[in-house]
Amino acid sequence: MNEVLISVQGLRHTYLPGTPLATPALTGADLVVCRGEIAALIGPSGAGKSTLVHFLNGLLRPTEGGRVMIMGQDTGMPECDVSALRRRVGLVFQYPHQQLFERYVGDDVAYGPRQLGLARDEVRERVRWALRAVGLDLDAFVDRFTFSLSGGEMRRVALAGVLAMRPEILVLDEATTGLDPRGRREVHGVLRRLRAEWGMTLLIVSNDMDEVADLADRATVLHQGCTALAGSTHEVFSQREALRSLGLTCPAPTEIVYALRQQGLPIVSEAITVAEAEEAIWSIMKP
Amino acid sequence: MVHYEALRHVTIGQYIPTGSAIHRLDPRTKLVAFSLLVLAVILATTYSNNILLLLLVLVLVQLARLPMRYILSAVTPALPIIIALALLQLLFYGSGSPDRPGASQLLLAWGPLRISTAGLRMVVVSLLRFLDLLFLTSLLTNTTTTSALTYGTESLLRPLSAIGLPGHEIALVGAIALRFVPILGEQLEAIMLSQASRGVSLEGRGRLRFIANTRRLANLIVPLFVDAYRRSEEMVLAMQARCYRGGKGRTHLVELVLVCADYAAMGLVAVILVGVIVIQYTSLP
Repeated sequence: MNEVLISVQGLRHTYLPGTPLATPALTGADLVVCRGEIAALIGPSGAGKSTLVHFLNGLLRPTEGGRVMIMGQDTGMPECDVSALRRRVGLVFQYPHQQLFERYVGDDVAYGPRQLGLARDEVRERVRWALRAVGLDLDAFVDRFTFSLSGGEMRRVALAGVLAMRPEILVLDEATTGLDPRGRREVHGVLRRLRAEWGMTLLIVSNDMDEVADLADRATVLHQGCTALAGSTHEVFSQREALRSLGLTCPAPTEIVYALRQQGLPIVSEAITVAEAEEAIWSIMKP
Repeated sequence: MVHYEALRHVTIGQYIPTGSAIHRLDPRTKLVAFSLLVLAVILATTYSNNILLLLLVLVLVQLARLPMRYILSAVTPALPIIIALALLQLLFYGSGSPDRPGASQLLLAWGPLRISTAGLRMVVVSLLRFLDLLFLTSLLTNTTTTSALTYGTESLLRPLSAIGLPGHEIALVGAIALRFVPILGEQLEAIMLSQASRGVSLEGRGRLRFIANTRRLANLIVPLFVDAYRRSEEMVLAMQARCYRGGKGRTHLVELVLVCADYAAMGLVAVILVGVIVIQYTSLP
């Protein structure tokens, strides 16, 4: 459980260096993700979350300072095999339409497994499994045009395309943005099952604090390219003032419990999920 | 290591605020000056004239405080093609135009290859022209925001509305095209990144790699175009939603006014154009 799979230390990165348009994106980011956990990366827009994510499967490699160790491999070393790394770390991007490029849904989901050189039957099996995992029916979707899908369907197909490669670590960059509440719950279910049944390690990038509180064991807060807070989800969300000063809020249950305590109610628990808040409120209402 | 920064070499059309005197000029002045200077570059065919023009343009780049290396980085990806074309022109241009015998001398003849003074001049002048045009375009687009360029174009085309030319619409089309260059660059970058994470390698191996590479290119172009169409449809909807109906009766928050510096700049450029024409028809090489 405590084996460190992703370890990022003091990472710096500038886009378009040496040009008048150079913009620093990361100025000292740290991140730790252990095997089997669901970790969350949070931060206001422009904090460098997506940039950091690009380092996790070798799309970007440290050149300006800092160290990125992924499953024991230092991606800053020239001998690091990034194509092998990309098979083990699946990355689902923020905008699904940028990730789909084949004409048919079936071909698109099969693209990764085919690149792995798997046999036809195995490819088919993986496509079926991946589509079912994201709640889509193979027979109904396999021959649909990718560009005619709705936003939510595109998101699921993009996720399926990465899942079909059966990565050990799955990184999701705002994977539930644009989904309706039900779709969001379904994706959350998928993510939990991936960890429980396949032992996948997950890193979710999210702006939805309730989602983070609900899913994640560990949270890292990025602010202006720098890691501002890190720890277990409870630890991070207990620092309400620090989060506020970074322009972030706590999950709604935490805010409710906080407001009740401000009213003088003797609640001691730091609830971050609805269930915890419910329990905390019940505990003071019982005679 | 493969770089996915597609925008690295798109320098034309990026506004770089340095606050120089050239930045502060009226966009109309810059457009007129740009057109006159391009005309001068096209008219100049002699060595002396072209070298003079290049020096002049370099002075302008310095005045605008634009970083030279940044502008030149746009040439880097095209360099192999430029060199190949220059070599072909140099070796196969022949012995000069038949209508002006004596104007060209043969410098070297070896089999079918002939290097003549006319061919040499052709190559040097083309290269200098290319640099001139690159610098001039960068000067215009790096020192002027897209919206200023649009207003400037629109204002310059206004007199032509008398003969039914839709100035506002033409300016808008140009502005949108310019605006889309960096957007498409970013888009391409994002597509390359997400494909790379799914195991697409950008450099192929083996004898048939050009087939695989072409197919890979199609995989990039199709989503890029789908996205561009979707974006433009969304833009049309957004424009309609905000009751866009062309330039008719539209007013501007900032009215463009020509000041002394603008007249001086345009006068200077006109003098340069006349100077180039004069030098062209004197006997300088």
